[in-house]
Amino acid sequence: MAEGTAVPASRPSVHVQGVVKSFDGRVVVDVADLTLGRHGIEGLIGPNGAGKTTLMRMIMHSIRLDRGKISFDPGDGAPEVVISSEPAHAIARMGVVKTNQVIQDFEQLTIWDSLLLSASQARDERAYRIFREGRVWSQYGDEIQGYLDYLPFDNPFGFAGSAGEKKLLDIIRCLLLRPKLLLLDEPTAGLPAGTRDRVMELIRKKASEENVSVVIVEHDLNVIWNLSSYVHFMAEGSVVLQGDPAWIREHATVVEKYLGKGHVGR
Amino acid sequence: MNLDWLSQYTVTVLILIVTTVGLALLLHLQMGLAGIGNFGIVGFYGVGMYAFGMFLVHIPWPENWGTIWPFLLSLLFGTVAAGLAGLLVGWLIVGLDADGILLGTLGFASIVYGLSQTNRSLTGGAEGMGTTDYPYDIGTQKAGTLLWLGILAVVVALILYYVIRVHRSPYGRLLIATGQNEPLARSLGKPTFHTKLVMFATGSAAMGLLGAMYGVMLHYIRPVELGIGVTLAAMVGLVVGGAARSWGAVVGTLLVGVLFELVFMVWIPFPADWRKQALPVIREMLYGSTLILVLMTRPLGILGRMRRDKMVRRPGRG
Repeated sequence: MAEGTAVPASRPSVHVQGVVKSFDGRVVVDVADLTLGRHGIEGLIGPNGAGKTTLMRMIMHSIRLDRGKISFDPGDGAPEVVISSEPAHAIARMGVVKTNQVIQDFEQLTIWDSLLLSASQARDERAYRIFREGRVWSQYGDEIQGYLDYLPFDNPFGFAGSAGEKKLLDIIRCLLLRPKLLLLDEPTAGLPAGTRDRVMELIRKKASEENVSVVIVEHDLNVIWNLSSYVHFMAEGSVVLQGDPAWIREHATVVEKYLGKGHVGR
Repeated sequence: MNLDWLSQYTVTVLILIVTTVGLALLLHLQMGLAGIGNFGIVGFYGVGMYAFGMFLVHIPWPENWGTIWPFLLSLLFGTVAAGLAGLLVGWLIVGLDADGILLGTLGFASIVYGLSQTNRSLTGGAEGMGTTDYPYDIGTQKAGTLLWLGILAVVVALILYYVIRVHRSPYGRLLIATGQNEPLARSLGKPTFHTKLVMFATGSAAMGLLGAMYGVMLHYIRPVELGIGVTLAAMVGLVVGGAARSWGAVVGTLLVGVLFELVFMVWIPFPADWRKQALPVIREMLYGSTLILVLMTRPLGILGRMRRDKMVRRPGRG
């Protein structure tokens, strides 16, 4: 497996070691050694069924590992922590956050509700804190309003209506968790083109100004080529190639397994 | 004060209805918000009732403590005992799916019912045990019962106030999120198991307090008080009123309670020999068929959906 060259160590990163997952005897993910997040924005690409989403869900511990270990380096000098033994909510609290490929929402919570929920800390949500609503609005309201101004919804006091609104809501919820390492699983699927560009611009800003490491799984490869500075190529459960987008794009294996011949030189 | 127009029986039925409103409000937090369909309400209520009774009767209280301190301490003990039972049962069930929760809570209620008939020296067995009179004396038994109804109404009003505040607090948002999409809530850093466990245990404790207070009114607690009817009344009341709304428990339980317990059982002049055998059975059937009818025609209850799109606004800015 090709190792990346000259990596800066200060970014938050996730280290995957010897991780295996199989469903009904079929090995879906088998990654020997992989570090995600060292290069700002990274792409994770590969054909359908390559195990990209499964790998991400294993990092978030929404799927249990059969074998192996996943650890997180917050990148701020704090020691590396093993996250594969932590519950899902603790991983999110540490700053490893993932958007959902399949649309997920709370049916009875409005858009504002959903965003306030995401921004609220455990101390705001104790059972006896029944007069806390004002504090929560004054503490997080402006930040949320900022996102809503940049990425407007039809009626932010209502429910997310379209698939696009739900997808967008999912992304903003994740940003409000103040991620250190953000995993985006097909973030642009279902978003209108204008919104998509604004979201990508926002992600780029988070990565460059706030030192957030971003890993994008995406089938719209233009997003990958434009945004990422490093690409991991997955096939049949393992990471086959890693390197610069330009290099990956031209590589014979990738072309053969994924892009198809017609893609070269396009 | 002339209370002739009010029968003692009516007052006790009103106490039953107010108690059921309290239980339905607590069930609203558990089932309506957090999605835990607790079919073992009567179990926690029974633990509270019996723990109160046994503690009060079997502890050798010092003579100079009077009656009020042993009484209050026993109420507290009943509440705590039910809370601990809630913690244990909750720890076992809140991670399960709806079927598991249904069976687990139902099983717990059966265990409590069974236990209340054993250990004769402690519980009085199947005949039950006498506990105490009201901790005050204001004349007739009816006046005393009426005052107890007032005290109970204050407790239930406090529960209602808490529930209304929960709807307007970040905690309520967390409960709703947990009930509706637990994996998503977890991915947002919310400790959903812990949240549900704490809520379940505190709700159970409050159910225990209501059980103990109802036990005070009974003066004599018996296993027959711990039948499925208690759970059913709270469940039917909540579903009729609207499980997702805080006032749903109040509206539904009052409606069903007044209709079935007062109008049907007391006010309609059925022949006297029906009252002992036929009417209680028919009443149980009425509860069951009401539940079926409401779920078929108006599954969200009278008040309908949770309307957070109408309610949630930035405080102080209209």
